[in-house]
Amino acid sequence: MLKYVIRRLVMLIGIIFVISVGSFYLIHLLPGDPAAVILGTGDSPSNRAKLYKLLGLNKSIFDQYFIWIRNVVRGNLGISFISQTSVASTIRAALPIDLEIMGLSQIVAFAVAIPLAMRSARKPDGLVDRLLGATSFTLLSIPPFIIIVLLVLFISIKMGVPNIGVASYVSFGTDWIVNLESLALPAFTLAIGSFVVYYRVLRSDMIATLQEEFITMARSKGISQRRIMWRHAFRPSSVALLGAAGVNIGGLLAGGFVVQYLLAIPGLGYTLIAAINDSDYLLVQGIVLVVSVGVVLINFFFDFVINIVDPRISRE
Amino acid sequence: MNPDKLLVVKDLATTFNTSAGPLPAVGGVSFDLNKNETLGIVGESGSGKTVLARTIMGLQPRTNVTVTGSVLLNGHEMVGVSEAEKRKYWGTEVAMVFQDPMTSLNPVMRIGKQIDETLRVRLGMSKDAAKARAIELLELVGIPSPEQRYGAFPGQLSGGMRQRVVIATALACSPKLLMADEPTTGLDVTIQAQILNLLEDLKEQFHMSVVLITHDLGVVATRTSRIVVMYAGRVVEIGTTREVFTNHRMPYTRALLESSPKVSNPSHTRLVTIPGRPPNLLKLSLGCSFAPRCAYATNQCHQQRPELQSAEEPGHSFACWNPLPSKREAATQ
Amino acid sequence: MSEFIQETEMAQEALLEASMVERPEKNQPLGPMFWICVGWLALNIIGAIFANVLPVQNPLNQDYNFINSGPSLHHIFGTDDLGRDIFARIVYGSRVSIAVGAGSMVIGFGIGAPLGMLAAYRRGRFDTFVTTVMYVFLAFPAIIAVIAVLSFWTPRSMLKIIVVIGFASVPLVYRVIRTATLAIATKDYVIAAKVQGATDRRILMKELLPNIAPIGISFLLIGVATVVTLEGALAFLGLSVNPPTPSWGNMINESRTILAENPWLVLFPSLALCLFLLCLNFIGDRVRSHFDVTEVKL
Repeated sequence: MLKYVIRRLVMLIGIIFVISVGSFYLIHLLPGDPAAVILGTGDSPSNRAKLYKLLGLNKSIFDQYFIWIRNVVRGNLGISFISQTSVASTIRAALPIDLEIMGLSQIVAFAVAIPLAMRSARKPDGLVDRLLGATSFTLLSIPPFIIIVLLVLFISIKMGVPNIGVASYVSFGTDWIVNLESLALPAFTLAIGSFVVYYRVLRSDMIATLQEEFITMARSKGISQRRIMWRHAFRPSSVALLGAAGVNIGGLLAGGFVVQYLLAIPGLGYTLIAAINDSDYLLVQGIVLVVSVGVVLINFFFDFVINIVDPRISRE
Repeated sequence: MNPDKLLVVKDLATTFNTSAGPLPAVGGVSFDLNKNETLGIVGESGSGKTVLARTIMGLQPRTNVTVTGSVLLNGHEMVGVSEAEKRKYWGTEVAMVFQDPMTSLNPVMRIGKQIDETLRVRLGMSKDAAKARAIELLELVGIPSPEQRYGAFPGQLSGGMRQRVVIATALACSPKLLMADEPTTGLDVTIQAQILNLLEDLKEQFHMSVVLITHDLGVVATRTSRIVVMYAGRVVEIGTTREVFTNHRMPYTRALLESSPKVSNPSHTRLVTIPGRPPNLLKLSLGCSFAPRCAYATNQCHQQRPELQSAEEPGHSFACWNPLPSKREAATQ
Repeated sequence: MSEFIQETEMAQEALLEASMVERPEKNQPLGPMFWICVGWLALNIIGAIFANVLPVQNPLNQDYNFINSGPSLHHIFGTDDLGRDIFARIVYGSRVSIAVGAGSMVIGFGIGAPLGMLAAYRRGRFDTFVTTVMYVFLAFPAIIAVIAVLSFWTPRSMLKIIVVIGFASVPLVYRVIRTATLAIATKDYVIAAKVQGATDRRILMKELLPNIAPIGISFLLIGVATVVTLEGALAFLGLSVNPPTPSWGNMINESRTILAENPWLVLFPSLALCLFLLCLNFIGDRVRSHFDVTEVKL
């Protein structure tokens, strides 16, 4: 077990290193003079001087990397010359929103997917199962941005309001009701995509698990149906579910970003897209770094949890 | 009903409604089982013995399966009743030991918990009492250091150990009837004897009856008091072990006995096999199912299915139009 | 409880036991829906390739008589706010989706699949090295990488989009193909072939490839679907092809501001996109279950 954890930690460090290099190099992908591009409208001799000092642009690329890394580790992701605020603080303000949306969407997705999947696994090819199967398949083919656009269309036509009749975002602490209202739409949209994945994965894994001999044996002990489903069948199947969750949450980002942007919810997604549009490259770089590391950490966390649930994996 | 009879099976038939047509996996089986008796059910693969065992217990599925006949377990009818009704007796009156301990234990649940479960759910024991009893049971089935092994996962145990755990789980609520479906087939030969001996000891201790299902005649020879021989889903011979081994009447029984290799034979003795293949249950003929492969088959054998008829010794019956001559008759002549 | 499952299991067991002579081998049939989907996809592809010669209007042509109009005789699907025919833009837009989808999968599979097969078959240092590298890249969320690179690597072109998405998909393709190959390469019949002296190349072609093909094709189709969706998402971020080139994503994105006035501008491209994805997913799923022998039902 310990060996496994150490091995994974080493991989984690390696991956974060690669991410850092990649994120760092992004600036140098830009055509032309990086300084000019970064400064953009804020180009002035004094700003230039500041930038050169901050990034060490006049030094070799290796030195630049080390300077950058040193700053990052100290929490200094640079100052956006466009918005004049520190990148780190912008990110810090936006991050909780993303987390909340993701959290809400996953709660909804699991809460709906798990019971429905168990129901379908109990009676495969029954009416409920087939209906759910067709529905989930269809939903799978509708990208989240289309869902949002259609929902918005529907709401604006129904309510006759050109804007979305959604309260604009306030933080949880300020007014939690309005907070939940404002995040309901994006959370719901993301929940749909996640629900489809979780439902299908759990259903197919449960069906396979229920065919195993140990389920028959559990039955022969006189255990009730319900207990068998939850205590015996669900646990091995939940491994696959967790695996899917790990992968899915990583993929939630793209869909999540667009959804945020469409609804003007100031999470990281919105900030990132706005930054791209504003050519605020330091901010973009900062967000890319933070989000990438975040996703990797989430995956690592999920791997770890899976291992606790099914110890067979660590022994292999 | 006779209070000595633990199990009375009458005309039990199990038919699967498959997309290829009805499949009569078990057809018209009748026998009974006394208390404290060990009954052996032998047959090749496909003879229907596993389906029979599960049907007797009531573990067969509810959809696309038709079961007719009657199974009286201690006076309780198990055929045609709801699952909830059957569940009352599962574990407490009848339990099953499955063939492959690798797959019959939940791989992600600790073995202790798997034994506990029955105790707590069925007998309402407290957590500590259940754990104590589980450790007792582990010791009873011969697992060394049971307190440590209590928290182990099935994957950490050897095949023989796992099967012992399965047995412990089955016995947890002290059932009166134990169905052992090929309990040693998946194990090393050296372990097989150990497990079978264990089953015998436990049978004495728990005052149980055991139904031992196997294809291995060597297993039933010394450990059962009566044998049921099955072929193509039907009983073809039934009687005391001794009688069936020494005075069998149905040619299939003879063929089965002859096809077991005997260590005492001189080396290079050819293995005797039964020519042909087991029949396709979807297309059973009207006659005796064994007729196509039988050296003694007559016209009647091909056209009419033989019913069980009694032989001289009480309790011995066989289903054959052209049976082998009885050794008793020969002896008295 | 699991009645149907246990029926399948026990009946299958009984059936197999009893009928060694005939074993009914029924793969799950492809079904009529399958062919309908194939047909729809073919239609899209033909439309994309032959758009120039088909009786479709010029997608860039602005018809000032019909601004934001609904479906009519002149414009089957209506027009957008610049008077451009929506139908024409959808047909031409399919070029982008198909090109990006197909192009990036060509790169992804072209590089990832052979590497994956080779690594799984050869094992050894080659496998360890390449797999570790790939897994490191896999951990990096691909979408972020794509967004990042595309936003920095200006000026944008469809070729760049295809290249970026293509390379981003290599690690995933590699992993899927490698896992599939591993499962097969360890099977006895492959080892048997090896022992009989078959050359590596022969084994790859005759034993491995036919068995990997179904999974590969299925994954390919789902990959195309994912990429097409990604293109749509990128369009919303302003990272897809530049206007006035039509793409389904662009069209939906542009429609946002005038939703109430012109719902057609959002509905038709959305429909086109969703149907395309639905067909891809369906075909991919069917191919997989058709060839997956472990799911044979009675």
